[in-house]
Amino acid sequence: MDSQNSQSSPRSADQILPKSINNVNLPYPGKKIPMNIKYKLLLITGFSALTIAVLSVFIYFSFRSFNLAIEYFMVGLIVTFVLVVIIIVELIARLRKKTGMITKGNLDYKVGTQIRDSTTQLPKSFDDATEKLKASYFEDLEKKVQEKTKTLTQRMEELNSERQKIKEAEEKALIEEAKEEATLISIGEGVVVTDPQGKILVFNHAAEQMTNWTASEAVGQFWFETVPAMDEKGYLIPRKDRDMYKALTTGKKVFSQSIYLQKGSEKITVAITATPIIFKHRVIGAVQVFRDISREKEVDRMKTEFISLASHQLRTPLSAVKWFCEMLLNGDAGELNPEQKEYAKNVSDSNERMISLVNSLLNISRIESGRIIIDPKPTNMNKLISEVITEIKVKSDAKKQQIIVSVHSNLPLINIDPQLIREVYVNLLTNASKYTPPGGEISVFISKKGDELTSQVSDNGYGIPKKGYDKIFQKFYRGENIVKIEPEGNGLGLYLAKAIIESSGGKIWFSSSGGSVLGGESTEEKGLPAGRQGTSFYFSLPLSGTQAKKGEVTLNS
Amino acid sequence: MGKQKPTIMVVEDEILLLQAISKKLELNGITAIPYSNGRDAIDYLDNLSKLPDAIWLDYQLKDMDGLEFMGQLKKNEKCAQIPVIVVSNSASEDKVNSMLALGAKRYLLKAEYRLDELIPIMKRFIAENKTQA
Repeated sequence: MDSQNSQSSPRSADQILPKSINNVNLPYPGKKIPMNIKYKLLLITGFSALTIAVLSVFIYFSFRSFNLAIEYFMVGLIVTFVLVVIIIVELIARLRKKTGMITKGNLDYKVGTQIRDSTTQLPKSFDDATEKLKASYFEDLEKKVQEKTKTLTQRMEELNSERQKIKEAEEKALIEEAKEEATLISIGEGVVVTDPQGKILVFNHAAEQMTNWTASEAVGQFWFETVPAMDEKGYLIPRKDRDMYKALTTGKKVFSQSIYLQKGSEKITVAITATPIIFKHRVIGAVQVFRDISREKEVDRMKTEFISLASHQLRTPLSAVKWFCEMLLNGDAGELNPEQKEYAKNVSDSNERMISLVNSLLNISRIESGRIIIDPKPTNMNKLISEVITEIKVKSDAKKQQIIVSVHSNLPLINIDPQLIREVYVNLLTNASKYTPPGGEISVFISKKGDELTSQVSDNGYGIPKKGYDKIFQKFYRGENIVKIEPEGNGLGLYLAKAIIESSGGKIWFSSSGGSVLGGESTEEKGLPAGRQGTSFYFSLPLSGTQAKKGEVTLNS
Repeated sequence: MGKQKPTIMVVEDEILLLQAISKKLELNGITAIPYSNGRDAIDYLDNLSKLPDAIWLDYQLKDMDGLEFMGQLKKNEKCAQIPVIVVSNSASEDKVNSMLALGAKRYLLKAEYRLDELIPIMKRFIAENKTQA
């Protein structure tokens, strides 16, 4: 109890003790001297006085001098008094010294055992008082200690639970850190995190591999200087045009492709995403993720080569068939009989289908590869559509179909890729003629609506069955109704038209007898004249024009 | 027309196509000089006193491409004046542009034309070249 007390809270014992001394009646040496001490003092004093008196009488009779006797008597008296005083002072001094131990808190200290005073009972009475003090003090102390212990236990419990929480939080943070580290290590992309000045804070394993710098070398360095970047032409990209710099200064996500110069000046082509880290509306750094696209570039190049090769290799035999059929039919090898002519014609027709299929497939692979060149030029729509109509008229005239064209007057030149948009018109008009019975009507409207140029190609033909609405723009899809009527067709025309319009920043949709569809998704019925059969295709292009796009291939090449 | 039949050198590595073209030219009153590779065609031109009126050239030959052929052709000053019409199966923009820049008169896509359509084009270039000369 004692030791626990003094150990856990030594201060409280100090505070308690003086208070207790006030409460307890502590006997003071001069105040209440026990009886036996009095007697002893009286005995000493009496004995001395008697001795002095006897000596004084003896001196008087020996020297017959009364004065001398008085003198001796007085001296003796004084000596006795002084002796008594000295004894008392000495006793008190010793007692005080010993009781000092008790005031210091050592209530187990026994004054009596320290002072061998058999004449007075002073130390013993001291010890008795101390015992009493001790009893009441401990009683009081115990209460207080109990209270304190209780609060202490509570506090300790609180502290423990807090410590537990902190420990859990710390553990959680460590787990998160471990996760982050594992994520960073396993990410195949290079990840670099910088502060707002572009100083590298984090540099992952992939970044090490892609730049040839180790994380320990790179961290703390400036990103722009550590890993210089070049454009496709091999010019160094200045700091202000670097992705990370843009992300840090604009607070926006930036994408690009660059060539990084590794440590040791090797080059690597990368696709980059730089994202600012924004905290309380302030850019506090940026994360840059970059991916090695050397292989992709290589695959791309191979694809281009394949397309070029395929177009050459497939078209060569098709050309041979085409030209020999032509010569046969021309009678260059002698006149054919009607049956031979018919067969040769069939070969020639099928060959033409094959040629157009190859062309479509090549165009689709060009568009899908995203490498098609979009080369917008200020284009006169009137002129463009007239050229297409001239081409289509060969087929429509043969079916005695009428073509009506209406173009918005005062249409400005619009910045589009004429070759691509022409392809869209050709596809839509070819379909219109093909899927409209002889004697039908085809109309083309080109109008300006708001900031868009809308083209409409309508016919009063067979229409599109409802089941096909959501498939009409899909690759190789052909309407169930027209497959029987028109066996020819590859189901690529509308797919290509949609791909072209979408890559030109426009929209394409249609309406047929039962509803309308926007780019493959059903929408509300849209402006179809009542009571009219057939199909209308619409496409809109922004009047502001199409964005130019660098690429490697064009249509029909 | 002139006193003599016009002559066209045809350089095409696909033998069947070479046959078809030559036959068609002959049928249209044109003398064809067929060659299936670039090297032989250039050698022939270098050693011949009488030059053809035009060259019908396929871009992709087995031994060289159109660019190299044009380069070789231009080395011989006499030949530099012969109109060259490229009839090829692959007509990517850069190929077309670089061939036209090297002096080719036209770049036509093979599968898009019938021979019937190509003959008048050839004849027109021969006539144009003659009036210029």
